Amino acid sequence: MVVLVESPVGVSPVKFALSATSHSTPTRIDGRRLRSERTKQLIIEAFLALLREHQEMPTAVQIAERAGYSVRSIFERFPDLNALRVAATDYSLAQALALAPPRNAEVADRQTRLRSQVETRAHTCERGVALWRVLLRFADQDDTGQLKARVARSRDTTIKRLELMYRQELSTMAADDRQQLLIALEALTDIESWARMRELHALSFEEACDVWVHAIDRLLPPTPAAQSAA
Amino acid sequence: MADNSTVESTAAPERKPGKADGRRLRSERTRRLIVEAYMALVRENRQMPTAVQIAERAGYSVRSIFERFPDLDALRLAATDYAIAEGRAQGGLRDLDADRATRVKSQVETRGQGCERWLPLWRVLSANLSESSEELRERIRLVRQLVTMRLEFMFKPELSTLSEGERRKTLLALEAITDYESWGRMRELHGLSFEQACAVWISAIDGLLPPTPASS
Repeated sequence: MVVLVESPVGVSPVKFALSATSHSTPTRIDGRRLRSERTKQLIIEAFLALLREHQEMPTAVQIAERAGYSVRSIFERFPDLNALRVAATDYSLAQALALAPPRNAEVADRQTRLRSQVETRAHTCERGVALWRVLLRFADQDDTGQLKARVARSRDTTIKRLELMYRQELSTMAADDRQQLLIALEALTDIESWARMRELHALSFEEACDVWVHAIDRLLPPTPAAQSAA
Repeated sequence: MADNSTVESTAAPERKPGKADGRRLRSERTRRLIVEAYMALVRENRQMPTAVQIAERAGYSVRSIFERFPDLDALRLAATDYAIAEGRAQGGLRDLDADRATRVKSQVETRGQGCERWLPLWRVLSANLSESSEELRERIRLVRQLVTMRLEFMFKPELSTLSEGERRKTLLALEAITDYESWGRMRELHGLSFEQACAVWISAIDGLLPPTPASS
């Protein structure tokens, strides 16, 4: 079987993340390669499922059992567990973007944008906290710097989303003030901030969202009149 | 304050006041030096030190360490108690009756200095929390409670104007924004100076708090 892989346009971000390291131009791949990609994906999904269930880094044996492959199969595709962590992070980041596209960014109503941004971020935090903790734990030990780069990219994505969703309000601020506010908003909506509300303070999903909505609403400057009436 | 510290509290005489024997005093001193060596290594290397490193730094044998601390988790716990006691002593409440701007600045600078000093230890404590003892997890919760209590004291006039639900939301947001790791990111990731990082927190706290009631 021969499958033509088109350029990234139109390709699911998740699939693209899996093959991004090896393909930048249209390439012909055969069934064997397709199966290998599928095996990689199943290994990554097994790794992520175990992480979510046990909240700690699974062993290669556990991953192999869960994925239905041998340990050898895992190390044929990932030279070590760090490479698997990196691949799983790329997969999750692509998945997060695919599952949580910016919604209502162009909506003039401030409350709608607040609710939309907070709920989207909250869902990302719910899904991603286990992987995030593993990333932070192993980032310092990763001599390749790949995990740190992904942590930074993830934070950058969060800030860009905040900029997009609150562009109207942020546009009224001086550059320095805007930068200060974005740093504060990023701290407020950090994954661990979400996890503390849910785990330590035992807030429901809705209650935790309310905390963020309330705080962001207080921190943002007034919505400019011309845009709020649009 | 010192009653939160294992290191401090065990220094209290058990028999006749003022007649602690020399052997016990030496043992306490050794414990303190081991804990201080541990914390110095954490600050320098930003990771959990090994027993050999701690022993070398403190000037004792590895055996001496394990005679006083059955395992490294016990040492981590003692270091945490020491840090809590020192943090409370150094971060005493100031400017409680001052105007809003003074209280916000005072709170932020005290918290910023605390984060500068304790962030490396905090990271070592927070790492692998799921594998840590219940006692250590309890200490982490205690530190967070102390941070929140301090916010409640410092901003009592403003918080008193809110309903219980609103007050809780505001405190959770204040705690999140002034978390250790929030400070760490400002300093390390965003490259802000101490003063610039303080300015971010001052602006955010001022924005989150409701207006100060007229009588304050």
